Amino acid sequence: MNNLTFGRYSPYDTFVHRLDPRTKILMMILLMVAIFLQIPTWSTTLILSGLVLLFLVIVMITSKIKIKDFFKSLSAMWIMIILLIIVYVFIPNPNYNPAHIVFKIGTYGVNYDAFYQGGYIILRLVLMVMLTMILTSTTKPMDLTYALEWYMTPLKLVKFPIHIVAMTLSIALRFIPTLLDETNRIIKAQASRGVDYNTMNPIKKIGSLLSLIIPLFVSAINRSEELSNAMEARGYDPYGKRTRYRKLSFRWIDLIAFIVVLAIFGGILTLRIMVACGYNVDLIYWIFGAKPLF
Amino acid sequence: MPIKVNNLSYIYLPKTPNETKALNNVSLEIPNGQITAIVGHTGSGKSTLIQTFNQLIKPSSGFVNIDDKFVVESSKKKNKKIKDLRKYLSIVFQFPEYQLFEETVEKDVAYGLKNFGLKEPEAIIKAHEALKQVGINESFYLRSPFELSGGEKRRVAIAGIIVLDPQIIVLDEPTAGLDPEGSKTILDLILSLKKEGKTIILVTHDMNIVQSYCDNVVVLNKGELVFQGTPSELFSTDVSRFSIEIPPLYAFCQSLKQKGLNLDISKIQSIEDLMSQIKEKR
Repeated sequence: MNNLTFGRYSPYDTFVHRLDPRTKILMMILLMVAIFLQIPTWSTTLILSGLVLLFLVIVMITSKIKIKDFFKSLSAMWIMIILLIIVYVFIPNPNYNPAHIVFKIGTYGVNYDAFYQGGYIILRLVLMVMLTMILTSTTKPMDLTYALEWYMTPLKLVKFPIHIVAMTLSIALRFIPTLLDETNRIIKAQASRGVDYNTMNPIKKIGSLLSLIIPLFVSAINRSEELSNAMEARGYDPYGKRTRYRKLSFRWIDLIAFIVVLAIFGGILTLRIMVACGYNVDLIYWIFGAKPLF
Repeated sequence: MPIKVNNLSYIYLPKTPNETKALNNVSLEIPNGQITAIVGHTGSGKSTLIQTFNQLIKPSSGFVNIDDKFVVESSKKKNKKIKDLRKYLSIVFQFPEYQLFEETVEKDVAYGLKNFGLKEPEAIIKAHEALKQVGINESFYLRSPFELSGGEKRRVAIAGIIVLDPQIIVLDEPTAGLDPEGSKTILDLILSLKKEGKTIILVTHDMNIVQSYCDNVVVLNKGELVFQGTPSELFSTDVSRFSIEIPPLYAFCQSLKQKGLNLDISKIQSIEDLMSQIKEKR
C-alpha cells in the first residue's frame, strides 16, 4: 500500500516549491497543451518531446523529487501501456503502407507507424504524469485549492458557488492522507485476524478487500458527520464573506519561471502554426540538412 | 520462554525529510503468564513496538524473539511462519470496533478463524464460545455488529481475537473511550484470560489500571526504554520525569505510611487490599 504515496507533498524549500501555486497551475496547463500539439514527422516530435522531457527531468531534480518514486508511480501504468500498444498494433491503420511492414500475422501486416503512434501516446502520458507529479509534490494541497478558487473568481458573476466548491475540494484533499492512515490501520488490524492482502487467489482477494473497504467507508462516513457537526458548531456559513490568513503573491521568481515555460510553449506553438500554414517542419532537415526520413 | 526484545530500532520514512526514529535500541523481556503494561505518552513508540511483535512492521535493526518459536528481524527474507506467528500472538488495536464488517456478530467473530482455515460450522461454534467469554448475550449473535453500542462493539471485536486462541494477547488501550462499567468488564475479561495462562501485554495511559491489574510495567520515552519493573517500583521512583502521574490509591497509601501506618504498599492493588492490611494492623 506504500505505492499510494505518489505525488504526496514533500516539504522541501526549493525554487519550484517557492513559486506561486497559480503560476504553477498555469505553467502546467501551458506545458500540457504543448505536449499535445501534434507535429508531423516523427523525428521532429521526438526531438521536441525529448526537449520537454529533459526540461521536466531538470525541474524534478531541482525540486528534489526522487526519479525512483516517479518510476514507482509509472509501475501502476504498465497494464495501460501494454494495452495501448496492442490496440495500436492491431487496429487497422488508415495510412496503411505496404512498404512499412515490420512483421505479418496471417495476412495482416503490422506497420511500424503503429509502434510510433503507440509510443508517442505513451510518451505523452509519461510527460503528463511527470507534470502532475511535479505540481502535487511541490505544492501544498491547500495552496492548490486557493489557486483554483482564484482562477474561478470570474464565475462569481454568474452566481457560481466558488467558495463551496473550493471548500469541498480542500476537504477532500485534506482527507486523503487521513484516509490512507486509516487504511493502514485497518489493514494491520485485519492482518492480526489472519487476512492476507498479498494473496494471489482472486476469490480470497475480493473477500479480503471487503474486510478493508466496509470498515473504511463506515469510518469515513462517521468522520464526515463529525466534521460537519464541528464546522456548524463553529458557525460555518458557506455564503459568508471571509478573509484569509495566507495571501498568495506573485513575485519575480514567478515571472522568470513563467517566461521560461512560455518560451517552450511559444516555440512548439510556432512550429505547429507553421505546419498549419503549409511549411514543411522538419528539425532534422533544418539542423543537419538531411532529407526527411519519411 | 518470554518475549525477548533485543536492540530493536525502527525508523519511519527513512531517508526522507519526514524521517523519525520511533524506536531506538530498545531491549527488554516480557515474562510469560503475566500482565505487562507498556506505558508512555503519545509518540513514545509504544504502538510501533507492539506492531513489531507479530511482524506487522519489520524493525530497522535488532530482533524480537517470541517464546523461542518465532523471530522477527529486519532481514528482507519472507517469514514463512508469519501466519502461525499471528495466530500465536494477536493484537487488539485501539478502537477495534472499526474492524467489524460482517453481516452478523457471530460471522464477524468467526471471520478470523476462517482465515486460518477452519470451516464454517466449527468456526461458528467457537465464535459462540468466545462471545460467551466476553459476555455478549445470545440474542445479539445474529444481529448486525453496527447496531451494537460502543462497549458491546469493542467486546465483539476482542472476541474476534480471543477466538483465535492466541497464547499472547496484546491490547492497545482497550478501555479508551468507554464508560467505567464498560472498562471494568474488559479489565475483568483480561484478568480471566490471565487465569487461563495467557500472556497479556497492555498498552495504557491509565496508571490506576497499571496499579490494579498489571504485574510488570515498561516505560518508553521518545523511543527509548526508560524503566522496567513492577508497578510499585515504578511509583516509588521519581515518575514526574516520565510525565506519569501517581495513581490516587498509591498516593493515599504513601501518605498513610508517612503518617506512621506500617503498610506493605507493593502488595496493595485495590482498596480491598488496603482494607485487609489495615484490619491486620489493628
